[in-house]
Parts: sequence; structure tokens; C-alpha cells
Amino acid sequence: MFPVLAAALLGALALSASTGPVPISFRAAFDAIFRGTDDTAARVLLSLRLPRALLGALVGGALASSGVAFQALLRNPLADPYILGVSGGAAVGALSVALFLSADASPLLPLCAFGGAALSALAVFLLSRRRSGVSPERLILMGVVVGAFLNAVIMLMVTLAPPGKIPGALYWLMGDLGLGTPRRVAVLFPYVALGTVLLYLLSRGLDLLLLGDHAAFQAGLSVERVKTATYLTASLLAGSVVAVSGLIGFVGLIVPHGARVLVGSGHRRLLPAAFLLGGAFLVLSDTLARAASPAGELPVGAVTALAGAPFFLYLLRRNGRRS
Amino acid sequence: MSGRVRIAVARRFLPGCLPVVVLLAIAVDRPAFAVDRFPLALKDDRGVAVRLAAPPHRVVSLAPSLTEIVFLLGRGGSLVGVTRFCNVPAAASAVPKIGGVSDPDVERIVALSPDLVLCTTDGNPRDKVRALEEMGIPCFAVAPQNLDAVIAAIERLGVLLGAADRGSAEAGALRRRARLARRSSRDAEKPAVLFVVSTAPIIAAGEGTFMDELVSLAGGRNVAARYSGRYPRLSVEELVAARPDVIFVAGMTGVERFPEEVTRWKEVPAFRDGAVITLDGDLVTRPGPRLVTALERVSAALADWRAGHPKAPAESSGGKR
Repeated sequence: MFPVLAAALLGALALSASTGPVPISFRAAFDAIFRGTDDTAARVLLSLRLPRALLGALVGGALASSGVAFQALLRNPLADPYILGVSGGAAVGALSVALFLSADASPLLPLCAFGGAALSALAVFLLSRRRSGVSPERLILMGVVVGAFLNAVIMLMVTLAPPGKIPGALYWLMGDLGLGTPRRVAVLFPYVALGTVLLYLLSRGLDLLLLGDHAAFQAGLSVERVKTATYLTASLLAGSVVAVSGLIGFVGLIVPHGARVLVGSGHRRLLPAAFLLGGAFLVLSDTLARAASPAGELPVGAVTALAGAPFFLYLLRRNGRRS
Repeated sequence: MSGRVRIAVARRFLPGCLPVVVLLAIAVDRPAFAVDRFPLALKDDRGVAVRLAAPPHRVVSLAPSLTEIVFLLGRGGSLVGVTRFCNVPAAASAVPKIGGVSDPDVERIVALSPDLVLCTTDGNPRDKVRALEEMGIPCFAVAPQNLDAVIAAIERLGVLLGAADRGSAEAGALRRRARLARRSSRDAEKPAVLFVVSTAPIIAAGEGTFMDELVSLAGGRNVAARYSGRYPRLSVEELVAARPDVIFVAGMTGVERFPEEVTRWKEVPAFRDGAVITLDGDLVTRPGPRLVTALERVSAALADWRAGHPKAPAESSGGKR
């Protein structure tokens, strides 16, 4: 399965790199990559299209991995950084940087978004804690409440910000890969790499968590530590992604299910599969957003929502037929 | 010439001349003629006939362009309420604020007891205007879609505000200036122009905007016109592919600059030649009298470009010459 998924991601990257208003022949692309030519086509390919495609792959992969982690953590198929208010927290963190420090994409941005994400995750966690422990239903409920509150904060910040202080904030909030520059890819890469590797290391713990807290404890897992580590790592992933490309919904919710259909629910296989599938999905969505829009560009978040739901239904039906 | 002959001449010609003279007087003096006819009824751009018994003394303006026009007509003193975006001329800032263009505060407007509200169908919410009308406040809506219509609106508002003479004089002056700015571009090379209202992300003025009209009046070719929507959003690659010769940057408020990663595309002639021109945002987006100033600036910039490119490559300006 993994060669297929990797090929899908590579195919999506190639398709994305070959789509755009500047015509680039296969030969020109080959020359640009392997011979280092320096004409317009080469520069468009190397400094616009490829970074954007890579950014899409990183963002999609990170969102899907984070979705897998949250779904295991809460034992709830509806969990996703978006619904849990984590993305909202990250957006508030990122907007605060833009408002109070500098609007530039400094390496600090993902860190502050992570801070916002972790804080909102912590708030959700504490709010839903009871003496009997944390119930998944309560977590989701509190996530929705905190998320709604954070959305209000975002709207306040966008409305009250001095004009020009957060340029393009609305586009950014709709989810946007339009600023996929080599620098942004470089900024995001360490966060995503660190987050996914950490999650991979936690995959045995995530498998055990699916059995329930009690069973996991019996199996010798230090449940609270694994939970905290997973929560923080998933927040880091979601937060850094939001900081760079805004709020892209649906990927973290849908892709994990798709990956589960393909490779089963063991996390050692599920996490890499979800990463590849999420990357391919978002890169394709972005290609569609650019190619299909007559009005310049569409925000990719609109396309993921449009393309995501039918894809989800298809997977559900296929899954039902097989079992 | 003797007195008898003079009388004879008068007798022969006067009866025939009189209707002509009267008609001429009416034609020349028509706006003034209308002013004398307060109470007046004037149809606005919604087709609603607005009736005024006397020239209005307490006017509320719901758009910066309308505020500018009222001041231009010399009736700024009658304004009792304007939007928080009305900043031109400076005196407009001193008038009490009634909210924004899209969110005027109906209660605050009613509290000012205006005898006329000036609004637009483009930016002001229709139901709020209706609410004002239901309270018996006459609302006059203006929604000019091009430069000629803006100037015509100035004339009409002159009549409405009891300043018809001033209105037709100002409109005449604006028409002359516009004609002058337009003429300078006839039969010349058509540079590819991109009019940008936001630089990060890049949002351009497309077809149907005033900026699009300014570009074509000034003899340019708007490269964003091929995208649908009035304000299409462009990727850097689309900017590179469009290869604009001249780029105008018009921030809505304050001008944001292109990020460095965009300007380093020297394939774009405008970046290569340094032909990126900053224009005051509200100069080109407000359908008011200063639109003519904007036309003059755009026209001058394109004339500069032509001066530097006497034989510019006319690869894509097919049909010209």
C-alpha cells in the first residue's frame, strides 16, 4: 500500500507543478530541475510551483497526522484539530504575532500558533476534566464551546485591527497556500518533521489507548503521560500548520478515515499512510483550486470542503461493502 | 438709422424671434429653472421619486463619495451626519459620524432629524435605507457605474440640494478635465496595466470597476480584465504570466507594498523598469469628483510609459494600428 500512496503523492506533486498560467514544457521542467537553467519557466517552477506543492504536502500530511492522533486520543471518529478548537487557538496565537509584533512570517509564528493551540487544548482538557476522568464526549463538547469562543476572538481581532496590519487575514483564515515560498516551506518543515516523528514514536501508545484507559493502563502504559505527549504533539502539528497556511478544514477529519480503510487502524502503519494521503489530497485540492477558478484563485479551504465530503462518502460505502 | 426704420424692423422680426428667445433661455437655464421649482420631485437611481418641499438644510451622507460631492457643491454646511470613512475634505471629519458605509446606525441618523439622506445602492444596506424611508425621511440613492455617470450625478445632486448652478459649473469643469486627460492617449501604444488594490495577497481590479475604466480611458489594457469577478485574486505566477508594463497600487487605506519575493520577478516589465506607481486608495475607488484627478494621474503615468517606450513590442495588443 505504501508504494501506491507514495506514488499518489508524487503524482499529485507533479500534477500541481505542471498546472499554472505560465506554460512550462516537460523539457523546460527537466532542464530547470537537473541542469539549473535560469529562464522564466524554470524560476516559476522552482520558486513558485514546487514550494507551493511541497507546502501543500507538508500541511496536508501534518493535518492528517494530527487528526489521527486526536481521534485515537479521544476515541472519537469526529475528533479533529478544527472541531476541538485547537486550530482556533492557533489562529489566535498567529494573529497576535501579526498584530503585536510583525506581520512577517518569522520563524516565531509557528511557535506562537503552537502556544495558542496548546493553550486552547489545555483549556478544553481542564474544562472537561471531572473526578471520574476525562470523557471523550465532554471533550468534544468543550472543544466546540472553546472553538466558538475563539472564533469570536478571531473576528474581533480582524475587525478591530488597524487597517493593513493583518493584510489578507480573511484569505488566510479561509485556508490558503498562496504564499508557498521556499522560506515558508523551510519554516514549517522542522515543526512538521518533529511532530510526525514524535507521533510515530507514540504509535504503540496510541494503539493501546484505543482499548480504553483502563485496558491501556493494565497493559503497562503510563496513560496520562502518553495522553499529554500526544495532545501536545498534535497541537504542535496543527498549530504550526495554521500559522503558515491558515484554517484548512476537513483534511484532519477525513483523511484519517480514508487511511484507516486502506491500511487498517494500527498506528505504526496508519500514521505514515495518513501523512501521505493527506499530502496528496491537499496538493490535489490546491491544484483544483488554481485550475478550476476563473476568478484568479480560490482559497484551498473551500475546495477541501467541497471535495472532501463526497470522498468521505465514497470511502464509507466502499468500507461497508468490504466488511 | 432713423427711429421709424428701427421700429419697422422690430415689428417685422420680433414676433418670430420671441419663441426662439424664450426656448433658448429655457434650454440654457434649465437647471436654474428646475431649482426655482421647489418643491421638486427627482427620480433617483432606484427609480424612486424623491420629493423635497424646499432645499434641504439637514443632510446625512452615507458614503464618502457623496460627502465629497456635497462639499464640492458648496453645501457642506448642510451636512449633519457622515460615515466614519468620510475624510475628504478635511471639514468632513468634523461632522458627526453615523457609522460606516455598510453599517450605518439607523437610530443615530433618525436622531439627527435630517430632511434628506444621500445613499448609494452599491454599499449601503437596502433594508436600512428602507427603514429610514419608513420613518418619513426622504432618501436619494446614487449609484454611478462609470465616470460619465459620476459627473452626471454631481449635476443631479446640485439640483437636489438647491445648488444647480454650482452643480452644472463643476460638472462642466470635470468634463473638460476628463476630456483632456482622455485625449492625450488617443492613437498610442497600449501598455499592459495591472491595477492592484491589495499586494499581499495580490488582489486586482477587474472588469466593471472604476479602475478598469480609468485604465481604458487613459489608453491602457487592463490585464486583470480576463478574470471573472470584479476583484480577482491573482497568484504570483499569474502576475508573472500577465507581464504588466505598468502596475498601479491602490490600498484601500494606506498603501501596502509588494513583498520582496514578488518584486524580484524581473520578467515582469513593470518591476524591471520600476513602473510601479502608488495611488491614493480612496482616489480611485470613490465614485466622486476626485475620480477625474485619478484619471489624470493614470493618464500621465501611461504617457510617461509611452515616452520611454516609443516602439514597445505590440505582441499582444493585436488590432491596434
